[in-house]
Amino acid sequence: MARMKFLCDVERCIDCNGCVIACKEGNNVPVGVNRRRVITINEGRPGERSVSISCMHCSDAPCIAVCPVKAIYQREDGIVLVNKDICIGCGYCFMACPFGAPQFPSGQVFGARGAMDKCTFCAGGPAETFSEKERKLYGQNRIAEGKPPLCAAMCSTKALLAGDADVISDIFRKRAFQRGSGAGAWGWDKAYGGK
Amino acid sequence: MNKSSIGICAVFLALSSLAAAAGAVFCQDQFLFSPGHESITVAFRQFSSLIVGDWQHYGRLFITWQPALFRQIFFWTIVSLPLVFLLHYLSIGPKSFSHQKGEVFYFGVFSRIVHWIAAVFFSLLVLTGLTMVFGKLFGGGAFVRSARYIHIISALIFAVDAPIMFLIWVKDMLPMPYDLKWFLIMGGYLSRAKRPVPAGRFNAGQKIWFWLSTLGGGFMAWTGYQMFSFDVQTEALRFAAIVHNFLGAALAGFFIIHLYMSLFAIKGSLQSMLTGYKSLEEVEILHSRYKAG
Repeated sequence: MARMKFLCDVERCIDCNGCVIACKEGNNVPVGVNRRRVITINEGRPGERSVSISCMHCSDAPCIAVCPVKAIYQREDGIVLVNKDICIGCGYCFMACPFGAPQFPSGQVFGARGAMDKCTFCAGGPAETFSEKERKLYGQNRIAEGKPPLCAAMCSTKALLAGDADVISDIFRKRAFQRGSGAGAWGWDKAYGGK
Repeated sequence: MNKSSIGICAVFLALSSLAAAAGAVFCQDQFLFSPGHESITVAFRQFSSLIVGDWQHYGRLFITWQPALFRQIFFWTIVSLPLVFLLHYLSIGPKSFSHQKGEVFYFGVFSRIVHWIAAVFFSLLVLTGLTMVFGKLFGGGAFVRSARYIHIISALIFAVDAPIMFLIWVKDMLPMPYDLKWFLIMGGYLSRAKRPVPAGRFNAGQKIWFWLSTLGGGFMAWTGYQMFSFDVQTEALRFAAIVHNFLGAALAGFFIIHLYMSLFAIKGSLQSMLTGYKSLEEVEILHSRYKAG
């Protein structure tokens, strides 16, 4: 089975934040939560580069390991999802994540955090596929529709690639070869560790 | 092309070469560090420090310990201590003291009220804390989430009550030289004989429990607040979670010890915290250095 991964080509990302908006608008994301964010270095100076970051859907994901209630699980295609009915909002996944992916809406009982929200790779959630509950809690299920995640589909420079790891790394390899630079994908060593 | 246009061209060339020369002098940095020169390795390192940060410190420690170690420590604490106490109860047995010789007024009404408020909400803290630690067994969801809410409310009440308790008893809880002797004979709990035990108003074991639950409780409140509010750096958050788990296990352990001592090991101990009176014999044996009044 194909292993789904994200790859952001920092030579192409132009910090337009289209991915962030597309994800937020298309996925019914709670107020105060951004599932994806763009980080820019050397802004306005030579050497400016940007990278778009969300949940990397790690192999051997630390969030799954630390969750005290087993609310997080990994699909066979590598997509990491959270079950919001089980999540207690303790925040351990946020502490474990190297990418700062898990997000929490506020405004529950006594200002306590609600269930964790994070990038679903636009694969919905554990609720019934295409159900109203899935749409409300987790957003679209574009993977089940055979479409790529909103962020990557929306990316104007095609910096953000999402999909079968073999296919996207092949595209990236060709690009790097053609332009003779950027032969690395930020975060891949941390998230996938050669797997 | 006429003469005048050649002249303009010459002036333009001269001016532009001057400008270029000036530019080369003043903007040397810009030419040297053009985007092409910035190595991708340097850029990736900058991304890592911005996004991943100090994860290697406590983040790594946290994901090493949280998946199993913390739960194991809690498990063995709540399983081994009751087992040890069961053996103690069956082999050595509880101590009971006669009230015939008279009674000593030991706990004033205010300290009893403060104690029982602490007792109720500390019990809730331990129970709901354990519920979260072993959240998997309950399948998560509404039950464990409610435990988390109760944990927060109980912590708020305990955080008000514990400082009062601290002020009431701190004078009698200061370490004394004879506390060492108390430890050497394990408080006399290893024998059935009723020999006077070196202890003041509170024995060395009670003193540890006192300092752990008040000062340790303060640390629990501080780390717990960070974990609740997320109002600090992620790195501090990870450290807080680690401290909260270790200290929590120690507190749960001493809570079980306190329960055994007050409910089973010393008969009438529970009544003394309800009525305020201890038997004179008990005070003479277990708190031999205590001078009433």
